[in-house]
Amino acid sequence: MRTHHFSAGILVAALAAGLPTGSWADDQADFEKAMTAAREARKKAATVGGEWRDIGKFLKQAEQAAAKGDFATANQLAEKARRQGELGYEQAMSQKDVGLPAYMIAGSK
Amino acid sequence: MNKIIMLTAALVMVLGLTWGGVALATPQADQAIWQSYYQKRFPNVPKEDFINGVYAIDPVSRESWEAIEEFPPYEMAISQGEKMWNTPFANGKTYRDCFPNGPAIAGKYPYWDKERGMVVTLPLAINECREANGEGPLKYKKGPIADILSYLRYQSRGQLTKVEIPEDDPKALEAYEKGKQFYFARRGQLNFSCANCHVQNPGNLLRSDILSPALGHTTHFPVYRSKWGEIGTLHRRFSGCNKQVRAKPFKVQGEEYRNLEYFLTYMQNGLPLNGPGARK
Repeated sequence: MRTHHFSAGILVAALAAGLPTGSWADDQADFEKAMTAAREARKKAATVGGEWRDIGKFLKQAEQAAAKGDFATANQLAEKARRQGELGYEQAMSQKDVGLPAYMIAGSK
Repeated sequence: MNKIIMLTAALVMVLGLTWGGVALATPQADQAIWQSYYQKRFPNVPKEDFINGVYAIDPVSRESWEAIEEFPPYEMAISQGEKMWNTPFANGKTYRDCFPNGPAIAGKYPYWDKERGMVVTLPLAINECREANGEGPLKYKKGPIADILSYLRYQSRGQLTKVEIPEDDPKALEAYEKGKQFYFARRGQLNFSCANCHVQNPGNLLRSDILSPALGHTTHFPVYRSKWGEIGTLHRRFSGCNKQVRAKPFKVQGEEYRNLEYFLTYMQNGLPLNGPGARK
């Protein structure tokens, strides 16, 4: 019983002092992880010239949402950025050997 | 048997022959296909008229364009560019010291610089001239760079597009191939290539606009675009197209767009320069 009171006291004190609680810290850590994955995917896409236009915007918006404590939105945006980075990379790799298309060659005769 | 087929294929490729009636991919063969494709697709359009972009294939918008050309919106840019050409730099020299054959020099660009191993475009050469004379470089998309380009291109009207890919430097061919790959590669969230609009669908509507054929695309830049409300450069247009398909644009006058310009201009060889132009 005393332990419970003691824990609750620490939690109240932490909240009052603006210190991160376990839940907030976990959310922040999850967000940082999501952002790292998104940044890496973006960087990988950029190495093959496959970055999509809005990835940077999503990352910025994710940071803004996280700063407000809206981790649901922040993670969603980071995930969107990561997915676009991966798709951009795959797209660029699939296009690396393209040339004049068959319809153009056929249409020139 | 497989070895014989592979050897034969390799020999045919090296000699630049045809395979089953399909021309193999040398720049010359690409260019022949490119130009023939548009002429077959729009048989009633004289080849030289393709330099007028969408107005070569759409008589309705051509009417309004011809009316616009009676009082060209790029005239001020030409005048401003002429002033820039004749105004000495702080060191007393002028652009003419960099371009002794100027101002009608646009037909020389872009070209392959063997020593530097890179494509040199006219805007790049202009800024290199400025920097060699102690002046700051101009921004590449609009403003003063578009003004001086307008003047130089106006003075060069009628020169024929004549891009060369030196056969004695494989790096030149590599730059051409990179530009070609860029042109035909799908990119961005919308998964569009340059070719999807301007090779596959010229004459078709994209929302309310008729897509222009790519034959002639480089001849009329810089252009006054009604959408911009000002003159802009070719690389500004490249950048805008990339953004429209939701791809991150590349650096203007960076290697990607210079190679793209090299390929795209080579495809127009033989067509006269008619810049600056006016477009929707």
